[in-house]
Amino acid sequence: MKDGKKGKGVSRRDFMKIAGIGGVGAGVVGPAFIFPERAAAQQKTLKILQWSHFVPAWDEWFNKTSTVEWGQKNNTTVTVDNINLVDLKTRAASEVSAKKGHDLFMFLSPPAAYENQVIDMTNVYKEVEKKHGKKIDLAHKSTYNPKTKKYFAFSDAYTPDPGNYHKEWWAEAGYPNGPDTWDDLRAGAKKIRDKNGHPCGLGLSQELDSSMAMRALLWSFGGAEQDENGNVVLNSKNTIEALKFMKALYQESETAEVFTWTPPSNNQAMLAGRVSFVANAISISRQSEREKMPIDSKIGISQALKGPVRRIAAEHVMNCYVVWEFAENKDGAQKFLIDYMDHFHDGFVAGQFYNFPCFPKTVPDLKTEISNDPRSNPPDRYKVLGNVLDWATNVGYPGYASAAIDEAFTTFVIPTMFAKVARGDETPENAAAAAHKEYQRIFDRFK
Amino acid sequence: MAVATGKIKSMGAAKSPLLGFAMFSPAILYIVLVIGLPFVMAVFYAFSDARIGSNELHFVGLENFRSIIQSPSFQKSLQNSIVFTIASQVIVMVCANILAIALEKPFRGRGLVRFLILLPWVAPVSLGTIGWKWILDSIYSVITWVLVWLHLVKPFDTPMWLGEPRLAMTSVVLVHCWRLIPFSTVILLAGRTAIPKEIPEAAAIDGAGFWRTTFQINLPMMKPIIAVALLFGTIFTFTDMTVVYILTAGGPFDSTQTLPSFAFATGITGSDLAAGAAVSVFLVPVLVLIAYLMLRMAHRAEMA
Repeated sequence: MKDGKKGKGVSRRDFMKIAGIGGVGAGVVGPAFIFPERAAAQQKTLKILQWSHFVPAWDEWFNKTSTVEWGQKNNTTVTVDNINLVDLKTRAASEVSAKKGHDLFMFLSPPAAYENQVIDMTNVYKEVEKKHGKKIDLAHKSTYNPKTKKYFAFSDAYTPDPGNYHKEWWAEAGYPNGPDTWDDLRAGAKKIRDKNGHPCGLGLSQELDSSMAMRALLWSFGGAEQDENGNVVLNSKNTIEALKFMKALYQESETAEVFTWTPPSNNQAMLAGRVSFVANAISISRQSEREKMPIDSKIGISQALKGPVRRIAAEHVMNCYVVWEFAENKDGAQKFLIDYMDHFHDGFVAGQFYNFPCFPKTVPDLKTEISNDPRSNPPDRYKVLGNVLDWATNVGYPGYASAAIDEAFTTFVIPTMFAKVARGDETPENAAAAAHKEYQRIFDRFK
Repeated sequence: MAVATGKIKSMGAAKSPLLGFAMFSPAILYIVLVIGLPFVMAVFYAFSDARIGSNELHFVGLENFRSIIQSPSFQKSLQNSIVFTIASQVIVMVCANILAIALEKPFRGRGLVRFLILLPWVAPVSLGTIGWKWILDSIYSVITWVLVWLHLVKPFDTPMWLGEPRLAMTSVVLVHCWRLIPFSTVILLAGRTAIPKEIPEAAAIDGAGFWRTTFQINLPMMKPIIAVALLFGTIFTFTDMTVVYILTAGGPFDSTQTLPSFAFATGITGSDLAAGAAVSVFLVPVLVLIAYLMLRMAHRAEMA
């Protein structure tokens, strides 16, 4: 009989029975199996998107420790997606268009253009300030719209943009501590280029690092994109002087490679022992330390270069977290940020001092810590960053990082202006006038 | 054969408008959703003040077009798009014709050669272009390395393939040609094989040489197919942003910026959706006119 049944297969009646039992079973245990998140007492989810950090150890800490612990305490499943920094804007645009995406989205520059799509972060700032004191002006200017009185983002950290120089070559050129002023840079870089052929690596491309380096030069010479009230003031004598300086520096000490660069290019050029100087965050030396590269002991860090008017540089990257209006877990996203700041110091250490605090009290002994880092060679390599707040400023300085500034920043008007003059394709006067006109055109579109 | 045809007719396929529509509908749906809808939206945005971050739209007439025309980057992009397209198509047409002639007659290994020539077209464009980006890199370029090794250039004065405006534009054009030549070759090869053998044979008997046969018989007879290859090539080139975006991102200082890459930079990364849309639809009337003229030319040549 058994054999007979075996050959027969499943009858329609048997099938109905099995299906019935299966259906009841699925009704009882199904949701827990198919939707485990529902089974776990309405466990919430929090989706975070941010860049793949230049110091991978920070991602390791954030993704596997910080968010996991917070998720356990708050009965929330936290997922973190890390993407290439150049794709952030595109991804943000697609999330906003689809009105769907992550709860917490981190930009690396002030995202004022998205103000209408994000919630006000005033309460997050207030809560964090209650515990950790006032935020720095750099964070305020980068995330606040004075016209609408809205904080469109929350900034936990910024990254300094110091000089990275080849110690041996600069010592031979007469600058054992690297260049201190823009004039030092020009004179020293020329000596090195003339002596051993190694060019200077100040970027002139349509990318983040070049944008920051050129703003530092512009501001150091007294130029600016806008004034404190948001009026375009780019076409000035100071801007023209900065352009003349860059033209001389390029023609004396650089090669056309600086026009081709993407954000990692100056890292690669420095680590390959090709260039004498670049303006970049400390990711270069962190990589040489991590990978124990022979060049590691030769990389020095200098503070922002002093120009005829001031010593100043932009932050290298500005962490700007936004919570979309359409986010599914707005409360969770805000609570995460508030709680995250309690552990900021852990991230500061895990990220090997790449992320500097926007709330100084979260890292009260910053100067001591960065002056004695056992990973670096020598241990006080990063000591010069102790006074970073004296010279680091926001995109849009001396005004706010407005939506118009954001558009001009992301369409690379400033590095394009400098590049045209450096190559001799445009006179400083004409380039300044053309860039001013372009700024005015962009600003007019926001009136 | 006659039986098969009869069967099909008896099934009513040819007579049923519903079945015909059903069979066409996937293609129509694809065109409407993937091409038609975005195009209509782009036109709509181009006359509005849409921004990526804004919640509402207002009609602004031709304001976006007025604004972008004033932009030096737009002017440069327009100029570059024209140069990029003409230069690419001249190179592509010449090379594709040569390859089609070379690949027409059988020889040992022809299948392998055809396969290798087709590779750039079948490989994802982004992968191929990233490969070229590494080959032309400012620090790790293998071409530069060979030139230095041969002592043809000095180590710190090497050509910057993507850093000098003219070299960069040349690189962009050549990489684009590398990708498009296989496509045009296949079209032209099909055109050549469609020429009745008797005609070139008769010409050969009458004493016509290679050049005369090529220019007075083959090319005129291939006019419609060349027009099609040229039309596709022109549209692919005018609308391509992948090669430019990956190789140079429009740099150095906008010297390789084309309209599609500038539209992306303005509309997506710059958040000005309306201006980006205006840039992207700017050349649509011109492209439509070019397409119309070419198709008409092809049709006339075919009729003749």
